[in-house]
Amino acid sequence: MSTTVIGGAPPKPRPPPTPISHLPTDSARLYTHIHPLLLLSLYTYQFPSIVADPVAGLAATLVPLAALQIAYVAVCLPPTGNGTGSGAGNGPASGGAGGEKRKIGEKKKANGSAGKSDGIGGRIIPAVLSVLLSLLVAAPLLTAALVLFGAPITTHHAHTLLCGAHIAFLAAIPLVYVHGVDGAAWRDAVALLLPVDEVYGGLLGAVCGAWLGAVPIPLDWDREWQKWPVTIVTGAYIGYVFGRLLGGTMLKGKKVMF
Amino acid sequence: MAARTLLLTLANLLIPVAILVFATGFFPYKPFMPGLAEYDNLGWEDGMGWSNKSVADAPFDRLVFMVVDALRSDFVYSEGSGMTFVQSLIREGYALPFTAHATSPTITMPRVKAITTGSIPSFLDVILNFAESDTTSTLATQDTWLAQLKAKENGKLVMYGDDTWLKLFPDFFERADGTSSFFVSDFTEVDNNVTRHVPDELLNNDWNAMIMHYLGLDHIGHKAGPKSPNMLPKQKEMDDIVRDIYSAIENEDHLQNTLFVLCGDHGMNEGGNHGGSAPGETSPALVFMSPKLTKVTHAMEKKSPVVPKAGTEFEYYRMVEQSDVAPTLAGLMGVPVPKNNLGVFIEEFLGFWDDGRDRIQLLLRNARQVKSIVEATYPSLDFGDVVTQDHKKECDSPSTGQQLACKWQGVVDVMSTRTKIEISSRVGQLYKFMKAAQETMSSTASNYDVPRLVLGASLAVISVFLTLFTLPAFTPMSPQGLFYTLILVLYSILMFASSYVEEEHNFWYWATSAWLFYLFISASRKEWTANFILHPAIMVLVLHRIIRRWNQTGQKFAGADDIVHSPLFHGSYSIVLWTMIGSAYVDVTNRLSRHVARSIAAFEGLSGVALGAPDDEFDPNRLMAFIAVLPLGVTAFLFKLAFTALDAPELTGGINQDLLNWVASLGLVGIARMVFGGIALSAFWISVAEWKRAQGRRKNVDGNGDLAVALFDLLTLFLLTQTKAQNIPLYLLFRLQFFFLSTLNLDPTSLTTTTLLLTQTSFFALGNSNAISSIDLSTSYNGISGYNVTLVGILLFASNWAGPLYFTAAGTLLLGSHGGANSTRRHIDTSELDDRDWVREERAHLERLARQENIVAERKKDSGRAWSDHVSLMTLWTGVSVASVMVACAVLRQHLFIWTVFSPKFLFAMAWGIGFHFVGTIALGGLLWKVGRW
Ligand SMILES: [Zn+2]
Repeated sequence: MSTTVIGGAPPKPRPPPTPISHLPTDSARLYTHIHPLLLLSLYTYQFPSIVADPVAGLAATLVPLAALQIAYVAVCLPPTGNGTGSGAGNGPASGGAGGEKRKIGEKKKANGSAGKSDGIGGRIIPAVLSVLLSLLVAAPLLTAALVLFGAPITTHHAHTLLCGAHIAFLAAIPLVYVHGVDGAAWRDAVALLLPVDEVYGGLLGAVCGAWLGAVPIPLDWDREWQKWPVTIVTGAYIGYVFGRLLGGTMLKGKKVMF
Repeated sequence: MAARTLLLTLANLLIPVAILVFATGFFPYKPFMPGLAEYDNLGWEDGMGWSNKSVADAPFDRLVFMVVDALRSDFVYSEGSGMTFVQSLIREGYALPFTAHATSPTITMPRVKAITTGSIPSFLDVILNFAESDTTSTLATQDTWLAQLKAKENGKLVMYGDDTWLKLFPDFFERADGTSSFFVSDFTEVDNNVTRHVPDELLNNDWNAMIMHYLGLDHIGHKAGPKSPNMLPKQKEMDDIVRDIYSAIENEDHLQNTLFVLCGDHGMNEGGNHGGSAPGETSPALVFMSPKLTKVTHAMEKKSPVVPKAGTEFEYYRMVEQSDVAPTLAGLMGVPVPKNNLGVFIEEFLGFWDDGRDRIQLLLRNARQVKSIVEATYPSLDFGDVVTQDHKKECDSPSTGQQLACKWQGVVDVMSTRTKIEISSRVGQLYKFMKAAQETMSSTASNYDVPRLVLGASLAVISVFLTLFTLPAFTPMSPQGLFYTLILVLYSILMFASSYVEEEHNFWYWATSAWLFYLFISASRKEWTANFILHPAIMVLVLHRIIRRWNQTGQKFAGADDIVHSPLFHGSYSIVLWTMIGSAYVDVTNRLSRHVARSIAAFEGLSGVALGAPDDEFDPNRLMAFIAVLPLGVTAFLFKLAFTALDAPELTGGINQDLLNWVASLGLVGIARMVFGGIALSAFWISVAEWKRAQGRRKNVDGNGDLAVALFDLLTLFLLTQTKAQNIPLYLLFRLQFFFLSTLNLDPTSLTTTTLLLTQTSFFALGNSNAISSIDLSTSYNGISGYNVTLVGILLFASNWAGPLYFTAAGTLLLGSHGGANSTRRHIDTSELDDRDWVREERAHLERLARQENIVAERKKDSGRAWSDHVSLMTLWTGVSVASVMVACAVLRQHLFIWTVFSPKFLFAMAWGIGFHFVGTIALGGLLWKVGRW
């Protein structure tokens, strides 16, 4: 079902990406449902302080958010290269650059060790690495995207950066955790070619939520929470939870078609 | 096919009909009473002991009426005001101060109408204000205090200042000198033109009313806001003029019974603009001055400067209605109250008459005159002079008309009472009636013609349904079709939210960003660009991000930082701005020279001489053409420089002063005409040449649309001429957007969506909004020396809709694939090239080149379909937007913001629906599409 081979071009060696499922453990099954509730509770609890002082509030919320996401990915998701998703994520094209080939080798190794020590301890390290990658790569990229979509450029730098970091932590940590630095997977993620699952659904939901979060800003309601970037972050949280829910259930395995 | 064309034509014709029907119901023509008022019978002769014709003696026989445009109340009354002489008069009781509430629209012409007729001008006057010389808007045939004063024995009027008065009152004035506000940067000349006449006129005793209208203060506001450093000196200047006139009144015998009125026609908001109904805009000052006023002020508290009423920003002293000026002047000058007046005689002046019966007489005449309008509005209700039995029932009725009838019955009741009752209770009852009538009649609720509103909106909805049948097939539902639908649905919802009408630009910026990002995703699905940051769609998005910050617009964040107001363009840095402007002109000139070179080649070809290859760099024709086009480009640039030096001198800071002096001496009207003439001549020349080339080609072989591109470049030059200097660099960015879009290979529906989004985006990015105060008049008189409604209207439209016109033309070119160097590559399925194998890619590229001609030929076949699809989608958009604005206006007609937000939006929807859709999308687009085949 790969849309990249439309039109009779020679078939590609790369296997089509498949949706990610959470680990087949009881704790994973349980926590995957508790996690969104915890996220929303955290955000609701922090909301007044975020409204009062967005920079301090968002910065303070970032650490517990990271902790929750680490817990989620470590408990529920197969780390990058793990075979739970039947070859999910390890699909850089063999026709691709040599660098990508090397990465496969690495992942194969990680795969083996993770497969043996199926414990949480072995998954904490990749989870923490995902947080670091999200913070260092995804957050700046998302901040740039926010500016491109109209975030203030001369003022509110800390606000926008923290907003980008929140979206990155919500959307990118799980994706980095399951797909690693697989360039092809990320390309497919941007081009909406990945099959929808709870991880990718969360990303799509968070991004769309953040976009829709801009709608209430121009209204003349004169509410404190209309200020930048409260509505965007709120939209991202709500969108993430919805996207995860839909992606993990109804829309699982579907692809964005156009 | 024929049925489709018929449906589409019908749908298009329905749009203007719907708009006009709705407009006549929404801005109904108010019944107005022709002829001059006369003193009519008072009634109750026996009870009051007066004769039916008796008239109370007037305290004044001469009037000096001084209007200072945009004189907001605090400019006169506040602590920081420069008008200290007026304040001293207030303290001594020689002046009676008010704040005169001006209703929206707060622009000069409707305000002058309100002041002189006492009526509440309809919103239609806004349109007429721009169509200035329209004779239907003159007050020559209407009853005003000017007409009344002129009709008096030896009545002669003189007028100096804003020529709005001369247009409203043609042939009214004995002597007049009108000034027009061409350049808002002119703070002094416009006022000196008025002031120089004052000393002489004060010595003349042949006039009984002198009207002055100063524009300088308004100009300062428009240019730099109410806190401009020029504001206080201007207030002092006005104060000195008041002092001169007042001392003449004190000292000259023939002026001793002169009433001196100083007022603003409207105020200004914090940005220095006006048109809407912010408190600052609706609160002008109103001061009556005369040594004789001590008679009415002796018992009053006289304090100045003062602070505004608690909880308000600009309400100083008592708030009266601006329309109250008319009956008050009539009473004080001893003339009948103008027939269409809805104003109420200002109570403070009753003290001029010692006899209570004179006061009642004055008010009764005012009340009878107001009553006659009320009667005409509610013909079924009883407004007779006899107490009726069932008037108690009317007083309990919630209907406003019956409430008024009840209050009139109250007047009849107190007037008919024979027993000696307090004068004050009669006065009180008369005021009760008049105030209620004023409030009812000026609220517009009673004036809507609801059936017409419904009919107009229904016609628009029918047009939408007709268009639906003409749409290109959307099966399977494509994402671009979905996006288009989403825009239409969201827009219809937003039109019901007043804040989103004010902040409409945010919607378009938001939707455009998402759309451009979608274009990036969509392209990435087919072929991943390694350096995705430089992907054309991302570049268009980056440009869009810059463009949307160029001008801050809307209400909520008005005055926020934007690029136009950044120090980058001001003072000595203006060289940066002018470098960008220069590049824009060089770009256009260079592109034009290419077309002219081709035209030279075309004529050479005909005469049998060698055919030069037009795009060859060493082409001698190119050089010749450049030399031929250069004068046009240089003239256009010099015009911009000369215009800006006068209109916005702060933007020419870094430019050599001698150069500025030289261009200033050239005469703007002449250069503008040269530019327009040059554009027309070039258009003609290139058209003839391209026509010849087309004739020379074999049948069945289509041209490559060079003429369409040439006309587009000439249009660009015209639009540059109609754009303010600080916005011209935007065209460089538009040009880049156009280029990147042309490399994107978009399908027709995507192109129409892109065109729609960019026309809207560019409209707001050029600084427009849905507020009347944002309409830019400055470039509407380019090349026009007299008043010509049609020409001014065309230029006004072209300058305010310049961005949309640019992108509608650009969109048509993209649709016909005439734009950009890569045009022939369009519509090739790049998904075939996804394997990133350079050998394959190279082979495919060669294949592509080979297939090019076939593809072009194939595309030409169904390209007619592409155009009608475009028109039908744009018609759908216009129908939906116009229908939703109409439904919103009809449903929300009792809304608090109906006159401040929704009515202006309807006026803009009219301009989009009639002006832009027919002139831009259909006429201009159709022309470019047609000649695109040449
Ligand atoms: Zn003005």
